[in-house]
Amino acid sequence: MRALLATRALRRLFITLCIVAVIELMTGPPGNNAQPVYGFSHSFGEAASFFGLFRTQRWVPFFVIGLIFWGLASFWIAQGPRVKRRVHDALALPRAATQKRPVRMGAMAALLVVAIILPHVETAPFWQAAMVEQIAVYVLLAIGLNVVVGFAGLLDLGYVAFYAIGAYTTAWVTGALPTPALFHHPLNPFFAIPVAIFIVMLAGVILGAPTLRLRGDYLAIVTLGFGEIITIFANNLYGITGGSLGTNQIPHPSIHLGPIKYSWGLAPVPYYYLVLSFVVLFIIVFSLLERSRVGRAWTAIREDEVAAESVGINPLKYKVMAFAIGAASAGFAGFLTASQLFYIFPASFTLQFSINVLVLVILGGMGSIAGVVFGAILIQTVTAYLFHSPPSGYQPSDLYIYLGALLVTMMIFRPAGLIPSKRRKREIKLSEADHGGHLDEVLTGDDT
Amino acid sequence: MSDLIFDVEHVSLRFGGVISLNDVSLHQDRGEILAVIGPNGAGKTSLFNSLTGVYQPQDGTITFVGKNGKPVSIIGKKAYRMANAGVARTFQASRMFSAMTTFENVKIGAESHHGIGVVGAMLRGPATRRGEKQSDARTVELLRFVGLSEKANTISASLSYGDRRRLEIARGLATDPQALLLDEPAAGTNPSEKIELAKLIRRVRDEMGVTILLIEHDMKLVMALAERIYVLNFGSVIAEGSPEEVRTNPVVIEAYLGTSSEGAPSK
Repeated sequence: MRALLATRALRRLFITLCIVAVIELMTGPPGNNAQPVYGFSHSFGEAASFFGLFRTQRWVPFFVIGLIFWGLASFWIAQGPRVKRRVHDALALPRAATQKRPVRMGAMAALLVVAIILPHVETAPFWQAAMVEQIAVYVLLAIGLNVVVGFAGLLDLGYVAFYAIGAYTTAWVTGALPTPALFHHPLNPFFAIPVAIFIVMLAGVILGAPTLRLRGDYLAIVTLGFGEIITIFANNLYGITGGSLGTNQIPHPSIHLGPIKYSWGLAPVPYYYLVLSFVVLFIIVFSLLERSRVGRAWTAIREDEVAAESVGINPLKYKVMAFAIGAASAGFAGFLTASQLFYIFPASFTLQFSINVLVLVILGGMGSIAGVVFGAILIQTVTAYLFHSPPSGYQPSDLYIYLGALLVTMMIFRPAGLIPSKRRKREIKLSEADHGGHLDEVLTGDDT
Repeated sequence: MSDLIFDVEHVSLRFGGVISLNDVSLHQDRGEILAVIGPNGAGKTSLFNSLTGVYQPQDGTITFVGKNGKPVSIIGKKAYRMANAGVARTFQASRMFSAMTTFENVKIGAESHHGIGVVGAMLRGPATRRGEKQSDARTVELLRFVGLSEKANTISASLSYGDRRRLEIARGLATDPQALLLDEPAAGTNPSEKIELAKLIRRVRDEMGVTILLIEHDMKLVMALAERIYVLNFGSVIAEGSPEEVRTNPVVIEAYLGTSSEGAPSK
């Protein structure tokens, strides 16, 4: 028995070190034609700091990190269930508290206050801009995609299309595109908001009605295609969209309504408040929807479409609805990007973008609004931080290696996301039980 | 003509060269408990799927007479429209929203035939609240009716097969149907559950006035329940009549047992 345990632990160590070796290779310096093995040898042998203590070769700190992970994994495998149970028991009281409505409302109000005073606390220009361009836009996109992927269970890989349509609509109605503006009268970008949201929702219906008859993988592939089509349209229809250069003529929004006069300029903070109010609005609207009849119909379709149809739910109608409603926040995000940056071009609306947003939704917790908001803020903040002050040895192109590793780890240990939705968690456990897991575990397990 | 609810006339269904239903005619009166039986591969499920809009027969007509007494053709209707017209169904292998509780399962049935009203549903106006209250009350009532009140908050995946049947029946009834179509309800239930199920189905007809059409393999259940039986074999109706007539019909006995001998056909 003891010998067996020892070999198992050793095997685990071996696997860990292999993974570490691969990561070293992936994050190491690139090779070149003159020295083809440079990338390989220097991935391990390059001089590096041992956590700032002394200089050594690159493989040493990696080896130590590998050992630490191996130790943690061994500990978790031996003691994990006990630790889990302890933590679960210890958290019983706080968890009961979070179930109460006033506590939840209070927490949300507190978070909102934090969000409101944040730009006055963090005054570095980089972070103020990042809060709008890197974080808030992604929060908007993540909560919108969450309606499609999380609530209705439709895998949409072309979500960027709606973002692009929102941005181009803003450019169009403000007269920044070669196409004549709506009614031949350029609108103030502020009034482009409802137009952009409306056009994007319309696009959701138009794209959704034919594609949403497909299921699962087929839908994913078709939406992927639609995302690409929109970008290619923007790129190639020179006379309509301005081609690959796009436009840099989009005016900043302003309001002149009676006594209320305000103009947004280049500074990010006013945009921050604009986007914050819309984030709050979308969160309220989406969570009301989730708890309404419509939300329950989405859940029913997600769990068993045939059964849903048998009680009179028209799946296509509800799916198109999810597409259109989910697109709305992307439409606003498109408006925000266009009017704040004043330029847009097709190369910024790529497949990569759709995938990024999907990753935020999956990491945060599909179907859980709190989860996707938290996930989006966390990941985007870390990304922005890595961009702003990269630690030594970090190359920006490595970001996706780390994100990918994070995603894989999450899928193993927390498949329903950082803050999972109860129902999603249950669905995942049930489908695991279908594939050889134990049902009792699912049904008697905790629901938190 | 009497008060017909289903009128199936000369229906044929083919899949390529395979004839699944061959000139099947069948009719059912409102309030009747009708069973369709037959050996494996006789076309029972094909008939069921044609009645619920899943398959579209090439020939013949299927007419359903709904609430307002207006006959509607079923062929070519999508499944959800059948449900809205007043035809509820259960599935052979129970299909539930398995991560939802029993209560939620039934509630979805109860509220699905309110209009959509996205904005209303979202803003929770008085009409929405009233609708929600009605759905909740109806759900409680139906759960009591089928005897699942105590399991209202159980996750439906953990229910026994017998309870799943009850849940499916409650969910079907929640849509306020004129007719309830049961696809092999006895499949996977034990003998005592079977007796309970037969009682429940009879109560659905007696107390709720819902017409029952049953497609079944299990002779015990059919003989205990049905008022009239159609027997299918190789896609055609080979006999029709009361349980007693069918039980003693030599053609039926031959279809079930190969050669005619004595006694009732049994599974």
